[in-house]
Amino acid sequence: MRYRVSFAIFFILVFLSAAAAFPADVYRLKPGAKGKICTNCHVDFQDKLKRPFLHTPVKQGDCSDCHNPHTSSHGKLLEADPYRICLRCHEEIVPKKAKSTHKVVVEGKCTSCHDPHSADNKWNLLKAGNELCFGCHKDLGQAVKKARFRHSPVEKGCLNCHDPHASEKFGHLLKTDVPGLCTNCHKADKPAFTRQHSGYPVAKARCTSCHNPHGSEKAAIMYANVHRPVLSKMCNQCHESPSSQTPFKVKSPGYELCRGCHSKMVNETFGKNQLHWALVGKDGCLACHTPHASSEAALLKGPMITVCGACHADTIKRQESSLAKHEPVNKGECTECHSPHASDVTLLMKNPSVNDLCGSCHGWGKHTSHPIGEKVRDQRNKNLNVNCLSCHRSHGTPYKKMVPFATATDLCVQCHKQ
Amino acid sequence: MGNSRVRIIVSIAAMLLLAKVSIGAEALKLRHFQSVYADDKEAGFRSPEGVGCDGKGHILVADSGNGRLVRFTLIDGKAMPDKEIKVPELSFPVRVHTNSKGEIFALDGRQKRVVRFSPGGGFLGRVDAAGSPPPSTVIPRSFDIGKDDSIYLLDVFEGRVLMLSPEGKFLKSIYFPAGYEVISDLAVDGKGTIFLIDSVKAMVYVAAKGSGKFSPLTESMKEGMKFPATITTDAHGNIYLADKNGGNIYIIGQDGSFKGEQLTMGWKEGQLRYPCQLCVNDKGEVFVADRDNNRVQIFSTVR
Repeated sequence: MRYRVSFAIFFILVFLSAAAAFPADVYRLKPGAKGKICTNCHVDFQDKLKRPFLHTPVKQGDCSDCHNPHTSSHGKLLEADPYRICLRCHEEIVPKKAKSTHKVVVEGKCTSCHDPHSADNKWNLLKAGNELCFGCHKDLGQAVKKARFRHSPVEKGCLNCHDPHASEKFGHLLKTDVPGLCTNCHKADKPAFTRQHSGYPVAKARCTSCHNPHGSEKAAIMYANVHRPVLSKMCNQCHESPSSQTPFKVKSPGYELCRGCHSKMVNETFGKNQLHWALVGKDGCLACHTPHASSEAALLKGPMITVCGACHADTIKRQESSLAKHEPVNKGECTECHSPHASDVTLLMKNPSVNDLCGSCHGWGKHTSHPIGEKVRDQRNKNLNVNCLSCHRSHGTPYKKMVPFATATDLCVQCHKQ
Repeated sequence: MGNSRVRIIVSIAAMLLLAKVSIGAEALKLRHFQSVYADDKEAGFRSPEGVGCDGKGHILVADSGNGRLVRFTLIDGKAMPDKEIKVPELSFPVRVHTNSKGEIFALDGRQKRVVRFSPGGGFLGRVDAAGSPPPSTVIPRSFDIGKDDSIYLLDVFEGRVLMLSPEGKFLKSIYFPAGYEVISDLAVDGKGTIFLIDSVKAMVYVAAKGSGKFSPLTESMKEGMKFPATITTDAHGNIYLADKNGGNIYIIGQDGSFKGEQLTMGWKEGQLRYPCQLCVNDKGEVFVADRDNNRVQIFSTVR
C-alpha cells in the first residue's frame, strides 16, 4: 500500500516538472509569430498600421486572433465565420431580446460599416458620420440633403438618436423612445410649445405622427401630407377638448369619426356589395391611414405595398416568388386594379370586366387569336367565360407569363382534351 | 437472402403502422361527387359566397352576384332546385344558415345585416341585436345559428361576438382575443363551443360554452395556409377551414390537431377558386361555395 502511494506521488512530481519544463509556447514559435512577422510578407499592411484607429488585435500584433496561419474553410484564412469571430469579443453588441436590430448586424455583415484592421475614423468606421449611413439609406440621405426645414440632430449625426447595432427597448434602433427623445431638447412646458399644439398635452403623445424627424419641405418639419384639421389646428374636430380628462380620446369609434367629414366616401363605400372589411374593423380607417400626417399620399401609413402586405402577405409573397413580374404589383401600386374601400366586383376589382381591366394596359385583342370575351364559354366550367384570368394569374405564378401551369401543353389541354 | 427480405417486409410494415399512428385514425379526405351550377331554369350562379345545409336534406345557396337565395333538396344524393328567394330586403347574400324550425337566415353583404325568412321563403324581418351594449353600431361580417337556435353575430366593428336569443335579443357578448389581426368568420358546434378564424394569423380561437373569453386553439398555421377566411364544424367535432387564396380546405380536430389538407386551386370539378362559406350536413357531406368558379361543390368525407 505504501508502495502504491509513493508511486503515485512520484508520477505527479514527474508530470508537474515536465509541465514546468515546457514553455507556454509548445510550438516553439518564433518571436512575433502571432502577427508581427506576418508583415514580412504582407508588406502593404504597413500602410494600414499607419492609420489613426487600429483594431485592438491588430494593435497588439495578434493576427492569429482572427486568422489561421495555415489553413481555413473561410475566406481570407479566417478562423471562423466572420460574424462569429467578431462576436468572440463583441458579444454584447446585440441585446438578447432586442426590440429592434440593424439588418446588417443581424446578417453578420460587420464589415459593411467597420474595417476589421484599421481606419481613419473612430470605431474603425469605413466613413465618417452620416455619410456611412446614407451609403445604404440613400433615399433618406437625399431627403435630408434636400429638406428645406432641417432637424439639427440629424445634421449632427444619426447616432444622436439611433443605436447603430440594436435597441434593447425601442423600435427603429432608437436610443430612447418618442416622445422622451424629443422632449430632451424640446421643452414641452414652454408657453410657445403649448400654444403651437393648441393646448393639447402632446408631450405624452407620439411626435412622429405629425413631425418628420429627418426634416421636411414643410414648416415645423411636418410630413409632406398633412390632414386638414391638423394643419388648421382643429384637433378638437376629432379629439375631446384639451382640458378634458381624456384629451386624446376620439369623439366617435372606428370609421364613424371619419364619416363626419368624409361622408361621401363612406356612403359610397357602404353602397357597394363588396366591402374592404378592414375599414369597418375596430381601427376603422386607421387600419390603413394615419390620422395626422404622412410622407405618403392619401395619408397612408406607409408605402402601399407595405400597408396592403401587412394583411395580404401571401399575395405579396406570390408576386415576389413569381417568374414573371406584373408591373403594378411589382411597383406596389395595388390600387391600379383594386378599389381599396369597396367595389361591386369580387376581389375589390375596379372594373367588372376582367378583360377591360387588363385591357387598360395590355392590348389583349392583339395578344392572341384565341377566342376570348363575354360570349366565349370556358370549356372547363359552363358558368365561366374565357377571360385573361382563364390562363393567367395576375399576382404571378412560378411559371412563365404568369400561367398557372408548367408548360403550354399543360395549359392548353385543360380545355382542348383532344 | 431470405432473412434480408423478411427484414425489409418487417420494416415497411413498421413504417406503415407508424404512418397510420402519426396521421391518426380519423384523417379525412374529401371526395367530389357533385357540382351545382344553376337553378331549375338553368339560370347560372354568379359569384356565390354562401351555402347552408340543414338536417332535412336542403341546401341553400347564397347566389351573391344574382342577389338571391336558391334552395335545393337532395333527392337520392342529387341536388334538385325547388325554390328561389329574391326580395329587395336581401340584395347581396353572402352567408346563409337555417335554424331547427327551418327558418332561413342570410347576411346581406351590402346592407350589412342579417335577415330572417320563414321556411317557405317569406320575409320575416331583420335581426337587429336589440339590447346590445354600446356602441350602437353593429357590423356583422358573419353569423351562425346554434343547436338551440341562438344567433351568434360576428360584430367586427366592436371586435366581439354577440350571442342573441332565437328572437334576436341580446344575451351576451364575448370580445375577440387580444392580439387578433383579422377575424373573418365564426362557427358554433353542437355543444355551443364558438370558434373564430383569424385570416391573417391563420389561427383558430375557441370559447367553450359559458366561457367569457377566447383562447387560441391552434398555433399560427401560416406555413401551410394562405388566407383562411371561413370556418365550419361537423357533428363529429371536426373543424373545416376554407383557404380562400389557396383554394384548399383544411381539416383540424377539436384539439387543434391537423387532420388533412384537401383539394387544390383550379377550374375543374373537385377544384376550387376562392372558396367561401362551407357547411357539413348530418351525413358528413361537405358543401363549398366555390365563388370564382360560379358553383357550389359537394364532397363526401372518406376516412
